[in-house]
Amino acid sequence: MTAAAPALRQTAALAWRSIITTIRLPQAWFPALFFPLVLMAIFTASFGGAPGAVPGFPPVRGFLDFAVCGAIVQGVLIGGTSAGAAFATDIEGGFFDRLVASPTSRVAILTGRLGASMALGLFQAVLFIGIAWIFGARVDGGITGFLVVLLIAVIFAAAVGGLGVYLAIRTGSGEAVQGMFPLFFALLFFSSAFFPIETMTGWYAAVARVNPISWLVESMRLEIIGGATVGTTLAGIGTALGLAVITIGASALALRRRLRVAA
Amino acid sequence: MSAPAVETRDLVREFKGGIRAVDGVSLTVDSGGIFGFLGPNGAGKSTMVRMLTTLLRPTSGTAVVAGYDVMADPGAVRRRIGVALQDAAIDPYMTGRELLRLQGVLHGLPRAECRARAEDLLARVGLEDAADRRVGTYSGGMRRRLDLALSLVHEPVVLFLDEPTTGLDPTSRVALWEEVRRLNAEHGTTIFLTTQYLEEADQLADRVAIIDGGRIVADGAPAALKAGIGEPLLTVTAGEGSTPEAIAGVLARFGPIIPGSVENGAGVRLPGGSSAMADAVRALDDAGVRFQSIDLAEPTLDDVFLKCTGRHLEGAGDEAPAA
Amino acid sequence: MRVVTVSLGLAGRNLLLVRRVPSVFIPSLVMPLFILIATAGAFHGIGALPQFAGESYLAFTIPMAAIMGAGFAGINSGMTLARDLEGGFFDRLQSSPAPRLALVFGPMLAAQARGILTTAVVFIAGMIGGVMLPGVGPTLLIFAFGLLFAAAASFWAIGVALRSRTVQAAPIMQLVVFLSVFMSVAYVPLDAMHGWLGAIARYNPVTYILNASRSAELTGTVNWSETWPGLVSAAALLLVLGAFALNPLRHLENR
Repeated sequence: MTAAAPALRQTAALAWRSIITTIRLPQAWFPALFFPLVLMAIFTASFGGAPGAVPGFPPVRGFLDFAVCGAIVQGVLIGGTSAGAAFATDIEGGFFDRLVASPTSRVAILTGRLGASMALGLFQAVLFIGIAWIFGARVDGGITGFLVVLLIAVIFAAAVGGLGVYLAIRTGSGEAVQGMFPLFFALLFFSSAFFPIETMTGWYAAVARVNPISWLVESMRLEIIGGATVGTTLAGIGTALGLAVITIGASALALRRRLRVAA
Repeated sequence: MSAPAVETRDLVREFKGGIRAVDGVSLTVDSGGIFGFLGPNGAGKSTMVRMLTTLLRPTSGTAVVAGYDVMADPGAVRRRIGVALQDAAIDPYMTGRELLRLQGVLHGLPRAECRARAEDLLARVGLEDAADRRVGTYSGGMRRRLDLALSLVHEPVVLFLDEPTTGLDPTSRVALWEEVRRLNAEHGTTIFLTTQYLEEADQLADRVAIIDGGRIVADGAPAALKAGIGEPLLTVTAGEGSTPEAIAGVLARFGPIIPGSVENGAGVRLPGGSSAMADAVRALDDAGVRFQSIDLAEPTLDDVFLKCTGRHLEGAGDEAPAA
Repeated sequence: MRVVTVSLGLAGRNLLLVRRVPSVFIPSLVMPLFILIATAGAFHGIGALPQFAGESYLAFTIPMAAIMGAGFAGINSGMTLARDLEGGFFDRLQSSPAPRLALVFGPMLAAQARGILTTAVVFIAGMIGGVMLPGVGPTLLIFAFGLLFAAAASFWAIGVALRSRTVQAAPIMQLVVFLSVFMSVAYVPLDAMHGWLGAIARYNPVTYILNASRSAELTGTVNWSETWPGLVSAAALLLVLGAFALNPLRHLENR
């Protein structure tokens, strides 16, 4: 047995606990599934006439094909916020201290959380694409394209999960973490998550262009609507990885600082 | 006024699950006095007050407050009562003055009168200096005083105070008692007060009803209730060169010796209370019996509660000492 | 008459709270602004559809953001009431001789006052974005629809508050108001809508309120044939939701 084995088992156990508590608490998963689907439906019904009629709109089979990746990213953002709030509640409620007081691997405390976020992200991506498929959307990139979308979604889920953990450790309050959500929502709208950047003008377009959410969604989207290249695929994976490195690194540092203070 | 301030007949309030918080209470509270409603936590005091103040509909029975039926004419009752509830539901973001004026508006007072009453009451409860501060910054005692002032905006005939001093420090408690007494004496306002403190009921109320498990277990003037327990107990312990037997010999003239009432001494039930104590001391002196200590224990409302329910009143032990 | 004075007194208190608790006040102003900017910015391109006939998409969005702001104002009143019920302040109101109607109309008036404020803020943001006011009559009409929708949304939220007696019910208050606006013609005109949502929008009263308000904004005139369906829809909403809010008043003591 290698030294990493207990940490892996603890990660799996803690991730499983996070997943179970998420499933048992409807307010933890319902918004992360409901709101992206409802917005996707409303946008598809409202903007169904856009493809082919709005100058700058990319060629797509239907608006739903265009919209599904925005829904996935939105769902991951909502899920990550809830997960961060749940982690903060663990800190408030003393579960965290109990973990720290046990011989649980410090790494597993973090990776357990992230694992649960990644599992939820994977589930959301599969579910949303499946529902879009039922309503007529198709994945142009086939199985490979589908897998790339899932991969980016999962890495992004880890990134958002890391951000949630970071905020939870820094604020120690579930309410404060949940209170950050409007900010994420703004980030989402000021991007090309719901509508193509080519149709935007002025400062709004400028903001959307430098918003990493745009890079992420656009890369995922090309796998579905067609036109993905090795370059666009790597750009999406790279963006997600970059975000993940930053947020997980920050949360690991915050965790270490907190444990040092506690010791 | 001759009509009772509060009159209930077989009042019952049943909550979900069949729990009877108030279980057939018949009570008559005369106008002009201070009525103490004493009982442990969960005895049904608050439920009773909520019914009498039209906040809760009785399951059965009748309640007439200030001459009006709480079910048939709640509006008339509300115009005549003042209410200060237990959790002092006061808006922390408003100032004392704003709350007082709003209360005046709720009672339909004209604007000028709302202002005048607010000033008047702020002065009366000693909150002029804090009038423009948000209630969130008030101390517990200040909140209760403001709460009292709020309940007086419309000069009510009957004032309901639900546990007015719970959680207050002894000084604030005595100050509030003073205010309540003054209100009763100067304005003739009938006070209906609930409390879990024996001392509060004893000090403040001229009549006390004890409630336990939703039922009235005792009802009367505090002195009469205590008298019902028996005469005060006189205990004397033996001093140098004296024996318990010698003391018992003298005390036996006042009544039958109560065995085991005190160590190294003797005890006797003393009719006439403290005035008779002097006779006992004189008798001991005349007999040349030296004693170390002498104590006259009056029956307390806790003794009354103990006798009626077989338990001590909860919280009686952690009562604040008299100031 | 007492209903009016007491309602105004309670509304005044409600507005005071909004001013003194920034965590309530700021979002209620920022939210409609965000909706205006994000919608007009993100979906700017949709204005190229023939159904818009060349109108500015920002101008098209102003009535929706105003209605949304009014809806928020209504939700806010319901949440304040729920907090009062939970914290016990409502007991004070209930044990006072205040007319029962005032307990609902007070918060409703407060919602309307806040609705006026958010509508004004949306108009100002629109002007910064280059959309001028559509003229006195149409501007007043847009304010009027804001008032009506603020009242309708507050009736809904108050009805939920009086039944649930807890702030935990806030998501229900919010969700229904959001969906009622987004499942109408929030983003595009009715004839550009697709599928089942188009069918829902056709029967959604908010659609006709938005259409009336939008017609005033975009044409700069008060067009009766566009206005009356909006007024009828608003009246129907107020009637149904008013009953929803007032009915629990009869059972306040039964809890």
